[in-house]
Amino acid sequence: MKTHHIIVFLSLSLTLLVAGCEKETDKKVVYRISDNASGYSVNYRGPEGALHASAVSVASGEDVWTYAFMAGEGDIVFVSAIYKDITGEIKVEILIDGKVYKQGYSKYDTVKYVTVSGVVPYE
Amino acid sequence: MKSFWVLPVFLFLMPTPGFSQEADTLIDLEGVEVREVEKRPEPFQVDILKKREIYETAVRDAGDILRKVPNVSGIRKGGIGLDPVVRGFKYSQLNVQLNNGHKIEGGCPNRMDPAMSHIDVDDIAAMEVIKGPFALRYGPNFGGVINVLTVRPAPADKLSFHVKAMQGFESNWNGSKQHLALYGGNGDIFFRLMGNYKKYGDYEDGNGNTVSSHFTRYNYSAAFGAVPWKGHELILSFEDSHGRNVMYPSLPMDERTDDTRLMSLDYTIDDLSGTFRELNLKCYHSAVSHAMDNKERPFSDTVVAVSEIDAINMGYRLEGRFSLGRGHLWVGTDLEDIRKDGARVKTRILEPTMPVMKENLWANAHIRDYGFFTEFRRTFNALELVAAARVDLNAARSDDLRLEKMGNLVFFDGETGSDFTNFSASLGGTCHLTGDIDLSLSFGRGMRSADMVERFIILLPIGYDNYDYLGNPQLKPEINYEADLGAQINRENSGVLNLNGFFSYVEDYITGRYLPPSVVKPQTKGVLGVKEFYNEDRVFLWGWEVSYRSPAMYRWGVRFHAARTCGVNPGAKKYVFDEGNLVGVTSLENDPLSEIPPLEANLTFRYTFLDNAVIPKVSVRAVGRQDRASEAFNEPETPGFITASAGLSWRFNRYFTATGGVNNIFDKAYYEHLNRRIVGGGGNLYEPGRIFYVNLIFSV
Repeated sequence: MKTHHIIVFLSLSLTLLVAGCEKETDKKVVYRISDNASGYSVNYRGPEGALHASAVSVASGEDVWTYAFMAGEGDIVFVSAIYKDITGEIKVEILIDGKVYKQGYSKYDTVKYVTVSGVVPYE
Repeated sequence: MKSFWVLPVFLFLMPTPGFSQEADTLIDLEGVEVREVEKRPEPFQVDILKKREIYETAVRDAGDILRKVPNVSGIRKGGIGLDPVVRGFKYSQLNVQLNNGHKIEGGCPNRMDPAMSHIDVDDIAAMEVIKGPFALRYGPNFGGVINVLTVRPAPADKLSFHVKAMQGFESNWNGSKQHLALYGGNGDIFFRLMGNYKKYGDYEDGNGNTVSSHFTRYNYSAAFGAVPWKGHELILSFEDSHGRNVMYPSLPMDERTDDTRLMSLDYTIDDLSGTFRELNLKCYHSAVSHAMDNKERPFSDTVVAVSEIDAINMGYRLEGRFSLGRGHLWVGTDLEDIRKDGARVKTRILEPTMPVMKENLWANAHIRDYGFFTEFRRTFNALELVAAARVDLNAARSDDLRLEKMGNLVFFDGETGSDFTNFSASLGGTCHLTGDIDLSLSFGRGMRSADMVERFIILLPIGYDNYDYLGNPQLKPEINYEADLGAQINRENSGVLNLNGFFSYVEDYITGRYLPPSVVKPQTKGVLGVKEFYNEDRVFLWGWEVSYRSPAMYRWGVRFHAARTCGVNPGAKKYVFDEGNLVGVTSLENDPLSEIPPLEANLTFRYTFLDNAVIPKVSVRAVGRQDRASEAFNEPETPGFITASAGLSWRFNRYFTATGGVNNIFDKAYYEHLNRRIVGGGGNLYEPGRIFYVNLIFSV
């Protein structure tokens, strides 16, 4: 009888062992663009992996553009922006779970995109 | 509720007075192992590693433990996935299989997942290493066969159910492993369910440096057997195994996911008639879905590269055994059908529009090998003779080998088909000179066609040296002509001494030769150029093994073995570069072959206490300096080293066994000659430093 108990216990352990092997850890990713007062173009990678482009109009330098989604470890995160105002500036950041993962900044540079990218780090 | 736990635990731990079985008994309880690992006398070298040696050591990888066999080494590229080298033969020169004929094709072109890596070490009952091109019933055999026998269900005299559980822990890389098996049945129907889970972190080498080597692997399997009629046996088996985040610091990528499914059917009929003694049929299907990337490498800040590959290997093996007077004849046929497809996607994440490029790694590559084989054994008084032959009809196809970049054609080869008929044969004999001295001599010719990589790879740095390699669909098969000479002295009071020597002449040896940039340009940053696989006229390998095992009748036991292999290429060429430009080619006379392990010796001493219940042991391993390094491959020499380990096996009662010990007692910083260097100038890939380990095994 005790042997049967042990077998049942270990069978359940086997089931749990198999069932509990994979663990997905999603993280909150936020693209944030700030410090620009004249508008800009942005390219960014969405959660489905496609590249999106949009033109952003801003009313003041206090305006902040954000785009948030959930991503898994190893997912590519990418955001790139450029402005046309030769007196302008821009700050581009990627935040993962509320912390700045990568950031870029440019001032008076209307030629070169500010590109910030990487992959969601593995724990 | 508490009593539910206390009683079984007490029963487990309660010593069993009078338990006097031999040390091997716990292993042999799983009956099928005894049958499959029984060693036949052979005129060539056959080494068998039994399960006990797995549980008695800190091991997490099947390729790793094979290094215990004399003249067998492993190419290490990470924490696991060691690729075996037997007497200097490696990769497809070795026939690696599961349970007498089940083949597995790894997905990675850089062999981060060789066939052995898809088999969980804790499911293994025994590993059989047959050296040389002599055993021809197991598929094309060029340099040797590694036959991995897993624990399988077996019929029992009466209905019974059993459980076996193992919990293992290793310090240093904080590794833990669990194994659970449920098995049972009766004489008509029987089964075995198994599962394993392994999670290891990064290890520290003897210098205290952390080596990126963490991994997670798990698998589960089910096998069901039936005896529908007397003498008939059917076994159906299924296994799913998975790898997650497996690090390979010596390769450009790490394994992100690996999902492997193995299925097989075995049908055996015994005692068909007085002449037709046995019929064996095996059908199998292996599917490997392998994804790897560079996301944890510094270069991923610029380009994220992800490769996904599907590899399928399926086939069958049908064999009959006939009794002809004092001889036995085996006749059979087999098929191995390999298909591989996959691509690498590169995302340039520093460019404003994030361009994405896709390159084919394999383009519906397909190799099919039909084999027909026979073997005859007969005893003539004091002489045992074995003769074998096989013919392989090997055909390979692929879509065009094409590489385009930014709309420009980098490489194209449209002639990808080839057909070959390969003939292999062997003849060997053992002469029983006296009651305790045997002499054996074998001659063999093993022929194998090029593998997927050698035929179809498109400009990837997959070799030992720093070049992009290009496949060659028109490669001729390479042929190994080998002679083995052996002697065994087996005396009841003084033990068993084995001496073996071999010499191989390899014709049309497959290796790489330089192609100038005017023909094709390299595609990997930092490589010296492009090498294309081709057939070198000939190379030679030779070596020896000596082993000694003390008699089993004493409480003390000694095991010793030493081995050495050498190899040369009489016509090697060295390419001399200056600032990335080829400035000269030097012909080298008798350049040593690359990736040949140095002289190695192992000594183990054990003593048995308490009626074999407690067995401590101490081992010393001495490896010589490898100064026979290949100049053509820019192979560095490797210093020698000595390591020591100690262990204890304690069979507490019939249910519970514990093994533990310490590997690399003195925390020696060392690396094997075959360990690949860490990519990106990271230096040598050192072996783990000191490891304390414990394995707890329950069996009911």
